[in-house]
Amino acid sequence: MSKTYRSLKQFFSNFYLVFILIFLYAPIITMMVLSFNTSKSRTQWGGFTLAWYQQMLSDPNIISALYYTLLIAFVSALAACIIGTAAAIAIDSMKPVTKTIVLGVTNIPMLNADIVTGISLMLAFLAFGISLGFKTILISHITFNIPYVILSVMPKLKQTNKSTYEAALDLGAHPLYAFFKVVFPDIMPGVLSGFLLAFTMSLDDFIITHFTRGAGINTLSTLIYSQVRRGIQPSMYALSSVIFLTVLVLLLITNYRPRQKKSIHDTDALSGGAFHKNSLPERIQKSAMAAAAVMILFSVAFITFKKYTTASSNELYVYNWGEYIDEEVVAMFEEETGIDVTYDMFETNEEMYPVIEAGAVRYDVVCPSDYMIQKMIENDLLVEINFENVPNIHQINPTYLEMSKSFDPQNKYSVPYCWGTVGILYNTKRIQELGVEPPDSWHDLWNPALAGEILMQDSVRDAFMVALKDLGYSMNTADISQLQEAKQLLIDQKPLVQAYVIDQVRDKMIGGEAAVGVVYSGEMLYIQEEVQNLGLDYELEYVIPKEGTNLWLDSWVIPANAANKENAEKWIDFLCRPEIALRNFEYITYPTPNDGAFQLLEPELQNNKSIFPDLDHLEDSEVFQYLGDEDDAVYNALWKEVKSW
Amino acid sequence: MHQPLIDLQHISKSFDGTMVLDDLSLTVKENSFVTLLGPSGCGKTTTLRIIGGFESPDTGSVIFDGQEITHLPPNKRQLNTVFQKYALFTHMTIADNIAFGLKIKNKPKSYIQDKIKYALKLVNLDGYENRSVDSLSGGQQQRIAIARAIVNEPRLLLLDEPLGALDLKLRQDMQYELIRLKNELGITFIYVTHDQEEALTMSDTIVVMNQGYIQQMGSPESIYNEPENAFVADFIGDSNIVPGIMLRDELVEIFGAKFACVDKGFGTNRPVDVVIRPEDIDLVAPGQGALSGIVTHLIFKGVHYEMEVTTPDGFEWLVHSTDLFPVGRQVDIHVDPFDIQIMNKPASEDEEAMGVNE
Amino acid sequence: MSKKLLSGPYVLWMIGFTIIPLALILYYGLTDRSGAFTLANIMAIATAEHAKALWLSLGLSLASTICCLLLAYPLAMVLRAKGVGAGSFIVFIFILPMWMNFLLRTLAWQTLLEKSGVINGFLALLHLPPQNMINTPAAIILGMVYNFLPFMVLPIYNVLSKIDDNTINAATDLGASSLQTFWHILLPLSVPGIISGINMVFVPALTTFVISNLLGGSKILLIGNVIEQEFTKGSNWHLGSGLSLVLMIFILISMALIAKYDKNGEGNAF
Repeated sequence: MSKTYRSLKQFFSNFYLVFILIFLYAPIITMMVLSFNTSKSRTQWGGFTLAWYQQMLSDPNIISALYYTLLIAFVSALAACIIGTAAAIAIDSMKPVTKTIVLGVTNIPMLNADIVTGISLMLAFLAFGISLGFKTILISHITFNIPYVILSVMPKLKQTNKSTYEAALDLGAHPLYAFFKVVFPDIMPGVLSGFLLAFTMSLDDFIITHFTRGAGINTLSTLIYSQVRRGIQPSMYALSSVIFLTVLVLLLITNYRPRQKKSIHDTDALSGGAFHKNSLPERIQKSAMAAAAVMILFSVAFITFKKYTTASSNELYVYNWGEYIDEEVVAMFEEETGIDVTYDMFETNEEMYPVIEAGAVRYDVVCPSDYMIQKMIENDLLVEINFENVPNIHQINPTYLEMSKSFDPQNKYSVPYCWGTVGILYNTKRIQELGVEPPDSWHDLWNPALAGEILMQDSVRDAFMVALKDLGYSMNTADISQLQEAKQLLIDQKPLVQAYVIDQVRDKMIGGEAAVGVVYSGEMLYIQEEVQNLGLDYELEYVIPKEGTNLWLDSWVIPANAANKENAEKWIDFLCRPEIALRNFEYITYPTPNDGAFQLLEPELQNNKSIFPDLDHLEDSEVFQYLGDEDDAVYNALWKEVKSW
Repeated sequence: MHQPLIDLQHISKSFDGTMVLDDLSLTVKENSFVTLLGPSGCGKTTTLRIIGGFESPDTGSVIFDGQEITHLPPNKRQLNTVFQKYALFTHMTIADNIAFGLKIKNKPKSYIQDKIKYALKLVNLDGYENRSVDSLSGGQQQRIAIARAIVNEPRLLLLDEPLGALDLKLRQDMQYELIRLKNELGITFIYVTHDQEEALTMSDTIVVMNQGYIQQMGSPESIYNEPENAFVADFIGDSNIVPGIMLRDELVEIFGAKFACVDKGFGTNRPVDVVIRPEDIDLVAPGQGALSGIVTHLIFKGVHYEMEVTTPDGFEWLVHSTDLFPVGRQVDIHVDPFDIQIMNKPASEDEEAMGVNE
Repeated sequence: MSKKLLSGPYVLWMIGFTIIPLALILYYGLTDRSGAFTLANIMAIATAEHAKALWLSLGLSLASTICCLLLAYPLAMVLRAKGVGAGSFIVFIFILPMWMNFLLRTLAWQTLLEKSGVINGFLALLHLPPQNMINTPAAIILGMVYNFLPFMVLPIYNVLSKIDDNTINAATDLGASSLQTFWHILLPLSVPGIISGINMVFVPALTTFVISNLLGGSKILLIGNVIEQEFTKGSNWHLGSGLSLVLMIFILISMALIAKYDKNGEGNAF
């Protein structure tokens, strides 16, 4: 082997290693950079800030998600280690046939699709009557962690010399003592790496947690997923960066060993290549121990934190859209009433519905949209609100109570919280570049000149609304031929569409990713402010298409199985106070139906037609109605056809 | 005479700044059985790997049958290696293992078949063609490893501690087997071991190495009987190495007692090291020998007794004898002049490693 | 005897939280809303949109598995060659990204790949035309490769690092070139690792719904998306379970492969 050949080979292998490391770490570095970005946008740099790190520490949602993530990871890894190690020892001494069967079943949670594991566990919990919550996540994590422990311990068991255990017994040791003194130290590296793996897997899991979690409990994964809807809080990046760097530093410390001068006696073994195999377990052991120690510290710290923050029997379980309230308002409510609020978030009406229906978690007050409220009323899932406890109901502009009658005919079940329209947001500069007139009709979304520049809503009813309105039909139609027509139209549009998204439209439009997007009017204020803050060279305008659109209302309702109905009514009344409604409006920027709050606004805002359009100009617009399970299924099937085209 | 088959010229090699071989030169004649002997870390395996082509020397060259092969990759060399832990291909049958090298060389099928049969017969494992590697014992795997190497008809076979993992009885059987094979095949063997008995039994030539230097090279008899320095003396068999003063030619003083010897040319009153093999010490009645002492230890070893005799200066002499002297018995030590081996004292540690004694 | 008892908790756990849940999926998959037996939920895989989603999922996950294998094998070889003491450190280097949340990592790729994203920014600096990368099947494959690459690297590295250097030396010694050594020795000996790696990449890639949502702009409907939507949006658990049962077929195939090629569990990732 010539020297140049060897060094060339060395060069290429190092080059390849660096390439892979860049591939692995580029997104992580990106995220770290974003954690210092003043703008919430993922594509625009707004300047350097440490604000997200501060916010991370003061955001109770993040802190509690972190607490649960670490606690679940730690407890589940620990439990998996105990159950798994015991199992591995037993499996090791089983007859081949039994062994094969047990190991086969052990492989299932590892090989099975996460989505199937998650769903199957959810079905089992509901069947067993275990309400979804902390313990169900924990059980699920233990379930998928055990195989990792078993598979880490088994090889170590195979290596152990069986006679050392027998020797210990021979010397008079009790079997337990012999195990802990003789067998356990041998398999310790396996147990530790199993623990570390289990911990990591638990930390990284999203899908299984997503299906098995319940009220008031989020892990970092589920919190992030709920934020995808309205844009990730950069404080999540900050937190992840902190976690990542902590682990990295730990890793470097445990792996750093002063370069020893190897004594000449090692060289024969060294050139034979046997050297590193001996020192490997010891290293893993050290690293794992250090990591475990820090994690225990973390967990203990957060457990104390948790004890300190919770203790009350006067409770309220709130279920709301993600980022749909000013957190301060929750704190103010708690302070004023002494009620302990468990605040939980959902992403879509469809996701919320089965949770309420199954009663897996008993929420006291929920904020669904119009058609879903209708469905809940029809299926007897709601209870009438006692308006004597909600004196501030008079602050709600009667127009919206009138509007509510389309789904709550007697205004008995719901109190409007936010409302708005759906329209087209367009990038003035991009439109010009493409030589397209500013859109004023849904039909403009079929303009071939906009190919690859359109962002559509990724939800059945919203997408069909666009097509049905364009065709001049009602967006609540159940006429199959009209729906087929709409479906065909959406299929025709698909090649022009850049992406189907939910609230990521906002960030993507600010980032200049697309020329036009279908958005909810509530995002407008934020979008225009952000465009200004970033000093972008284009403007984003909002238009309600002339064919009419979806008028929507999100209202507070009380589920029939609520345990704290009066507290729920206190909550609703509190949110109806003009100054509170104003606070929320300023935070979430979705139009408020609260007249008192509206009157407190600057005239400039009051006259912003993007946010508060004249309702008399919206005669062609409609509110979504619940169509029944069968028609829903029809919509879903047609939408699937569009998506899979 | 033959020209040397292998000629190592001024080979140096270091790993991570540690010198493993320092200016090593060595020639190996065709059809000889050369053993590289030394403690672990002495550089013997590295020497073998340089010949095999698995390491490149930092400086120096390797000449094979008159051709420079220093940087030739292993697969282009006309030699084969039997590895320490056999390194059999566990995913192949025995036959496939043996056929590997021949298949690489695109030999015809029938030729390969014949060779496999021949090689298995040679190592006394006929009929093992279709067995899996895992089903063989250590000794059998060792034979397969040898068979795998020799079917390629190499001119030189390198063996890296091939018997290290076998138990004593098996090891002894395999030693005879290897000698037989070498004689039948007429191949040159270079054999690496740290077991001096193995080296003495099998080799034509032994090369004793320590800390990257050749300490002594010669026939088993000369290595054993005339060690050139304390290291060789100590490493090969048991020996008593004591400080002495060369009073003049053929007379040496040890612990104040004068002994006649046969060595000359060390000058007068020169400090030297004296080597005396335990079986060369005669224990005689008090007053009849040069040095007196007390028997302090006694073990029966089968062929002979092993005793320790402590002299007043505190030195414990190792003595092998067929006569029994019980512990506590006062004895004298007598050594015949030709059984005393005189060596120069090394001036420094480095010199000691280099085995300088002229 | 007492050793057998140690498996008690695990066996109970396994029955309660692995076998019964799967039995429930089976029950839901084979019944309709009224509880009557039906094969419709399973046969639904044959309808155009489901078959297409499955087909597409198979294609994308196959492509990403191949990419992972092509990237991971040389990498594992390089890591093996690094040898001395590097082992555990390198394993950590590959597990480390998992400490940055899976969703955030994938979202970060969005930021990198977008039209006005980081990569196109670099291209602009070099005066190269911007590339359309996001919301394409290629972006989904990239996301899959990125997220699942460690699961391919680790088992292959594990088997490779267990191969004695002298086994390779022996092959070279017997006249094999580097390529021949790779083909006749390294590759066959690393089969257990490869099989285990393929399983650990292919199955999750086949069933993912998050990656296709985030990097495919929801334009590309995979079988994972269909199942997820049946459970979370469509509220048709029976259909979702039926389709999950179809996916189980692929998992059974994986288990069979592992049983065949990796009897001793040599190919375990960890």
